[in-house]
Amino acid sequence: MGYHAEDGANNVLVHSSGEIGMPLLNLNGVTKDYQLGKTVVRALRGLDLHIDKGEIVAIMGPSGSGKSTLMHILGCVDTPTAGEASIEGTQIASLNERQLVALRGRKIGFVFQTFNLMQTLSAQQNVELPMIFQGIKKKERARRAKELLAKVGLADRVDHRPNELSGGERQRVAVARALANDPEILLADEPTGNLDSESGGTILELLKKLREEDGKTVIIVTHDPDATAIADRTIRLRDGRVVEEVLDA
Amino acid sequence: MLKDFLMLAARSITHRKMRSWLTVIGVFIGITAVVALISIGLGLDQTIKQQVAGIFGVDTFVLVPKGSFGPQNHAGANTEEYALDLQYLKSIPGVKVAAAVRQRTGFVQGPTKGDGPSTQGFLPVMGLSPELMNEFESFTGKIEVQPGGRLFTEADEDVAILGADTSERLGAKVGDTILVAGDDKKELNLAVVGIMQPDDEGKSSDTNRGFSAGMNPGQGKDTIYVPYDTMNLLWGAGNDVLVTLVRTQPGDDVDEVADRAEKALRARGSEVSSITYSDISDAIGTMTSTVSAFLAGIAGIALLVGGVGVMNTMFTSVLERTKEIGVMKAVGARNSHILTIFLIESGLMGLVGGMVGTLLGLGLSLVASKFIGRFFGVHMAIVASPALILITLAGSFSLGAFAGLWPAWRASKLPVVDALRYE
Repeated sequence: MGYHAEDGANNVLVHSSGEIGMPLLNLNGVTKDYQLGKTVVRALRGLDLHIDKGEIVAIMGPSGSGKSTLMHILGCVDTPTAGEASIEGTQIASLNERQLVALRGRKIGFVFQTFNLMQTLSAQQNVELPMIFQGIKKKERARRAKELLAKVGLADRVDHRPNELSGGERQRVAVARALANDPEILLADEPTGNLDSESGGTILELLKKLREEDGKTVIIVTHDPDATAIADRTIRLRDGRVVEEVLDA
Repeated sequence: MLKDFLMLAARSITHRKMRSWLTVIGVFIGITAVVALISIGLGLDQTIKQQVAGIFGVDTFVLVPKGSFGPQNHAGANTEEYALDLQYLKSIPGVKVAAAVRQRTGFVQGPTKGDGPSTQGFLPVMGLSPELMNEFESFTGKIEVQPGGRLFTEADEDVAILGADTSERLGAKVGDTILVAGDDKKELNLAVVGIMQPDDEGKSSDTNRGFSAGMNPGQGKDTIYVPYDTMNLLWGAGNDVLVTLVRTQPGDDVDEVADRAEKALRARGSEVSSITYSDISDAIGTMTSTVSAFLAGIAGIALLVGGVGVMNTMFTSVLERTKEIGVMKAVGARNSHILTIFLIESGLMGLVGGMVGTLLGLGLSLVASKFIGRFFGVHMAIVASPALILITLAGSFSLGAFAGLWPAWRASKLPVVDALRYE
């Protein structure tokens, strides 16, 4: 899948498919400082990044390079200290807490390294959770949750609690949950980090399938070389900056 | 959505069974105390009032010397004597029956036996209105004479009824004549018409309800009873009236008539106070509500401890579920959603505590009423009104929710990033 990207805030990007539009995610000179005790940690130091709709992007880098911080800003759970971060042209910094919640509720699905499923809920209920917060009716929720669990290959596990599922199955439930509100973007933070290579491979295949079949944009923060294999692009971070972009065409 | 939040909260409570139960125990101890104390307090109040109402009925009031009734006075203390003209009292509008009791000590001489000397001495003499003996049984208990005798009638003059002991000491039987001397060398020969039935000690509590001292003439075994008018003949207008019982005309307001009678008598110089059922009921109400308030204060402390328990549990829960909160927020939960979930959770623990506590509290008051019933020989009602139960349940939910307010607020304000990072 070929594609052309140019640095710059408002450049028009041209997909191989010929679709024209602004980047889905656009970060320009983003910095993020933390107060950690008495010292200020500069997690991001002027980072530029543009991600298009339908891309699979892998973000790699040693710990402390700012991966998680970048992830949080892309996921609208944090706002930059300085610089511009926008999603579909909307500046994240201009949104209040409530609007941010609404935005990530509809646009972004999270997949975590440690799955982070509710232990007290069944697989189906876990998948329904994001829909509850969007106020979707019970019947519709149940239908969609079952459909999504079938999509990730867990049609026969809907009533299982997380502790009755294997690690790979749990992560697939988490992927189904991330898809609950049909978001444009899937943000996966080390999705294979707690899995054996076989289960990890299944998850990566699943993420790839989601881009292929549903046109989801997938961003994976990872140490896993296998993850870079399914990515269109691999971005390496160091000290809060992008040091390398690799196009895996 | 609220239903889903309820489900989420319930799941989280049942997931931490042990801790939830311990928290609930903390709540229900407090609720049990509150329910039991309120229920017993109300029951006691109701029972005492019923007893008093049973004595007074709806149409009767009492006149006593001024200052002998009221919470500040012990019975008999500071009592001023008052004189009373029963005829005048009966002429006051609204008064249907009036009966009085007065008491003196008089010189008494027994019947002459053959040529031997008669027994004589000073004995208590009690003047009773004939009406008192048959109209006010709820006050006096049943007054009975031994077979062969009779009680006073309104037509009676110059008659006497003797206490059982007096009868023996004077050697007087029904049909004999005794002499009673009053003031100013006034003396009368009185025909004995009856001998009081000696009280059976065991059953006296049944007949002798409410007032005892001076109100149950049958108890004075060494007393001589004469009609009230006879008493007046011997000692003149009474300024030694112990108590007057008044029954009002049907339809008249007893408090109004009592007020009218009190004012009229005072205007004539009788230092008298009226006591109606509502006076006594108010006095009882004041007493029981003071006791109730004190007990409720103690129960309140228990509740407070329960509330702190809920708060503690909720703080622990928030801390423990920091990551979970972060995840919920990441998947689209608003602050208000988190707040609601946690409030429902703490409210539910309060509610369960409330339900268990209400049941135990009612059980406890049932036991208490049985206990009181056995020891005091009264049937004590338990007050378990639906209102009390509903208020208790709503209150216990609120207690839980209130205790959870601060932890829940803290949970809702957790920044997503920090919550997600939390390990």
